[in-house]
Formats: sequence, C-alpha cells, structure tokens
Amino acid sequence: MAKILIPTPLRQYAGKQDSVHLQGATVGEVLQSLTSQYADLRRHLYTDEGKLRSFVNVYVNDDDIRYLNKEATPLKEGDTVSIVPSIAGGSAGVAAPPVSLSKEEILRYSRHLIMPEVGMDGQLKLKNAKVALIGTGGLGAPLGMYLAAAGVGRIGLVDFDVVDFTNLQRQVIHGTKDVGRKKLDSAAETMLDINPYVEIDRHETALTSDNALQILKDYDLVVDGTDNFPTRYLVNDACVLLGKPNVYGSIFRFEGQATVFAYPGGPCYRCLYPEPPPPGLVPSCAEGGVLGILPGIIGLIQATETVKLILGAGEPLVGRLLLYDALAMRFRELKLRRNPECPVCGDHPAIRELIDYQEFCGIPNQAHEPAPVVGDIDPVEVKAKIDRGDSFVLIDVRETHEYQICRIDYAKLIPLGDLPKRVNELDSADEIVAHCKSGVRSAKAVDFLKQAGFKKVRNMKGGILAWSDKVDPSVPKY
Amino acid sequence: MIRIEKPAWDTMVSHAERTFPKECCGVMLGLDGVVRQAVPLANAYSGPQEDFFVMDPQDLNRVDSQARAQGLEVLGVFHSHPDCDAYFSKRDLENSCSWFSYVVLSVKNGRFDHANSYRPDFDQKEAPKEELIYG
Repeated sequence: MAKILIPTPLRQYAGKQDSVHLQGATVGEVLQSLTSQYADLRRHLYTDEGKLRSFVNVYVNDDDIRYLNKEATPLKEGDTVSIVPSIAGGSAGVAAPPVSLSKEEILRYSRHLIMPEVGMDGQLKLKNAKVALIGTGGLGAPLGMYLAAAGVGRIGLVDFDVVDFTNLQRQVIHGTKDVGRKKLDSAAETMLDINPYVEIDRHETALTSDNALQILKDYDLVVDGTDNFPTRYLVNDACVLLGKPNVYGSIFRFEGQATVFAYPGGPCYRCLYPEPPPPGLVPSCAEGGVLGILPGIIGLIQATETVKLILGAGEPLVGRLLLYDALAMRFRELKLRRNPECPVCGDHPAIRELIDYQEFCGIPNQAHEPAPVVGDIDPVEVKAKIDRGDSFVLIDVRETHEYQICRIDYAKLIPLGDLPKRVNELDSADEIVAHCKSGVRSAKAVDFLKQAGFKKVRNMKGGILAWSDKVDPSVPKY
Repeated sequence: MIRIEKPAWDTMVSHAERTFPKECCGVMLGLDGVVRQAVPLANAYSGPQEDFFVMDPQDLNRVDSQARAQGLEVLGVFHSHPDCDAYFSKRDLENSCSWFSYVVLSVKNGRFDHANSYRPDFDQKEAPKEELIYG
C-alpha cells in the first residue's frame, strides 16, 4: 500500500481528499489506479495519448522518478508518492535549467554517481546549487577548492583582499606566484582549473550591512569563512533574515569550531554568543597566530556540511558545536539550542533588519582617523635618537619566540607579561620607549609604567612592523 | 476570477520590486478563488534570471504541505516581468500548468506597473486572461 499525496489544487477532483492509499507494484500502476478511480483527475495528469503531462513531476519519497525507473519505479509498503507540478516561465525564451549531465561531467563525477547517497539526482542537486563563500582566506581556500571539485554549480566568492606572503602558510588556494593579486582572481583561477564546469561569481567588496542581503539573496546557502566578529554577526543576521543556512567555522592557534547556524528550527550565532567580546580581548590570527593546517581541517568540515545540506544526506551539524583541538588531536561536541529569546531568530525578534556591526562590536568607525596619542614616537625618530647616542632605554615587550624572529639590536626584551615583576630593572629617571609587533601591547606597557610612576615613557608607533617599513627593511615582517 | 487580499498583494509587489531587475516567483494560497497569503520563493534558475524563472519542485512541495496544514489550497503562482508588460509569453505558455492561476506582475524601473492573471489550458496551447482584483 502506497500513500499518494494529492496536490491541493487537485483535491477537488479526488473527493476533496488530501491523500489516497492505493495498492500497486509500481508508480505507473498506482497512478493508473488513482486516475481510474477519479476520472476527473486523469486529464490533469495525463495527455490524451496516455503520457504524463510535461509539467507533472512525480516523487517517490524524496526522489524524482525521472532519475529512478520512471513510471516503472517499484513501490514498497509505506512509500509516499507526491505529485509536484514543474513551474517555470519568463518574459523571454532561454534554456531551461540543467536536468542532465554531459558525458564529460558523468566521467568527472563518477565516484559520486556510483554511490546511491549521491547518484545522478544528488549530482544534479550539486550542479543546480548556489553557494556563497564569504572570504577566500584560510577557511575559504579548502572550501573553494573542494566545493568546486565536488561540482557545486555556482559559487559566489566575496573578498576584497590581496594575496600576501603571510597568507601562503595556510591559504592553499593561492600560490607564491599570486602574491600581490586579488584573492578573488587567484581563487577563481584555481577553482576553475580544478573544475571548469562550475560558475564563479566574483563579489569584490567587503560584506556590509548595505550590500549583504542583496549579495546573499541569490544563493541557497552561505558559508562563513571570515575572521572577525562584526562580519560574523553580519553574516549570521543576514542568513536568519533571508532564511538561509549559515555554515560556520572559526579557528584560533591550534583550536577550531564548526556548526550550521540558521537552519530551520536550529540555533543561530547569537543564540551561542548573544554579545560580542570586548574589542581586543580575542586576538585575531594576525595577532595570535594559527597553525597553518588548522583551517584545512575546519574548512573541510564546513565543506562536508555544505555538500550534505545540498544533498539532503545524513545528519547535519545543527544544534551541535563541534570543537577541535589539534594539539590533543581530539574532537568534542557541545549541544546548542535555539534561544526563544534570541534577538534575531527568537520567537519575538527585536532585530528585523541589518544593523551597524562595527558599532555593535565596539569598533570605532574606520572613517575617523584616531587622534594621535600623546606619548607616541615615530620609529624614524627612535632611530635618530639611537644614531645621536641619546641616553634612553628601548624595551621590546613581545614574547621570546617573537624576539627570535626579528629584533632591534638596541632593544632590551621584557615580555609584557613579565613587566610587573621586572619593573625594578627600569629606572624612572631614564627616558623609556616601548615597542612590540604593531604597537598595541607596547601601549599597554606604557599605560602600566605610567601607573607605576614612570613619567618619561613613550610608545613606538606601529611597532617593529613600522620599523621594518620606515627604518630597516632587512628586519623581516611576520 | 481571482481576488488577492491586500497583505498577500503587498507581499507579491514587494517581492517583485526587490527582486528587480531579475524575475521573482512565488505561490498564492487561499480558498474559493480568494488569495489570503502569498509565499515568495527563490528563483531557482541557474542562468540569467532577468527574463526567466524556475521554481524548485521541493519548494513547491513544501508550500503545498504548509497550505494543507493551514487548511488552504495552492490557488496559483506569480512571477514578475522586469521592464516589460504583464503578458503571458510563449515561454510562460510552454512551461505552464493547468492547475493554477498565473499572475504576472510588470515591474518597470524597479516599481510595480500593472498585473494580469491567466488560466493556461491542459495542452499549453492557450492561456485566457481571467479577471484579477487586488489590494
């Protein structure tokens, strides 16, 4: 006995019933039996020649019978047969969407096609799928390469950055030859080399509250490969507002996490983190470092979930936060729930449009140049002081392993964390200049020393990176 | 004749205007020739969407079960014609389904201009206009 779901407009021809239970060994048999019982239905489903009308699609459970055995598709006890019209049209004549694979594509995807979980039906789902990939950096690199290889038909890349040497330790979609090129061009070139049968949209922009909905609305799902809190909240809120799943991943040093947000009924990023951390508390990869392989692992977990969502296969990573620790080589899972009080995906959402995420994350508006801080000194001036033989102390507050990468010979190393216990090595009568990698930690050191009663303390602006740019290019940047 | 209640109509117009210059599509739910609810759907066509739309059958299936659950029926489908009139094109006819009313919204320069409704026949040979009342 199979259950046939009657589409609502046809119920009037089937005794007003929602569904009909009928015996039959094949789809063809139960449809014949249905239309002989309800003669008025027949002309809606079949032509005078007895063929299914071109606009009638028949599904057994979730599978289109065109990719099974058509009307000879066998039925099992308890199968559900759905009749779904195909609806299309438009103001002009253009080709219909792909309903088949070329000979070349069949060969290319043969290892997918022979698995029943993917098969022709699944590979066509991949071909017709549209995925937005935010960022083509650490996470975006493996994502872009594998999603293209898997045959995801249209991939929209969003990035505005340029490849630099520090990217190459992990962003394997770009090569040494690409340094200085737009990441979009370099990534698209690699992806199209892997698979010329996919389409790549290049969105050369930062994702903002003004453009996010416009860019993301054309895609079925969104993969977040970004590395900062404002964009993460922006992607989350845009996905919730548009009703599109957000395949999330993040990485830091040796640890990563991944999950699927904004899936119907599931939690969103704000259910997990209602508020952003205070600015500066969580270091970025540029500040804290990252194991180059880590984004490969996390990005591929995201790619796997993306493909599963498109195929409708397996158990999606929804309501579960997967945590990965590379040093311990362990995976753990935390349960997540949708928060009914969530301001964006809750039962009574307060946020119904995109907001200013820079402000939300406490980051000052980039448009306003920060006022020069009293107590800053330019690296060029520091160099002049050294050359003149001025009496002053230069302290380097970076960590020992950073000191091993590069140093200014004149400087004395006192890592920021050691400063309180080593402050007696300094004399408050001396003029003191502090530096670090880019100027953030040394500003903290200056604050600390001032509170400790030091008066003549200044911060070398831009740190050793600025020193390399302005004073001594032989000092390597990292 | 098909009558579209104001909230549903507003949903259709704003979906059409927001999707401009691409074609939008969606489903109309209601009872006895009165549309009470419009459900905007994504245009699933993978090529240029400025003059063509495709509905994902899975979306349609989902909306149909949603309608069942609410005691409503799928009365018809709607789509937009960006920067041209609300005629029933040859391409519309070739892809039509006789079960539904087809409402076509003309959107010009991003603003709704006018609309018509059509009832295609079984054989996709013709689609007579039907009376459309909205708002």
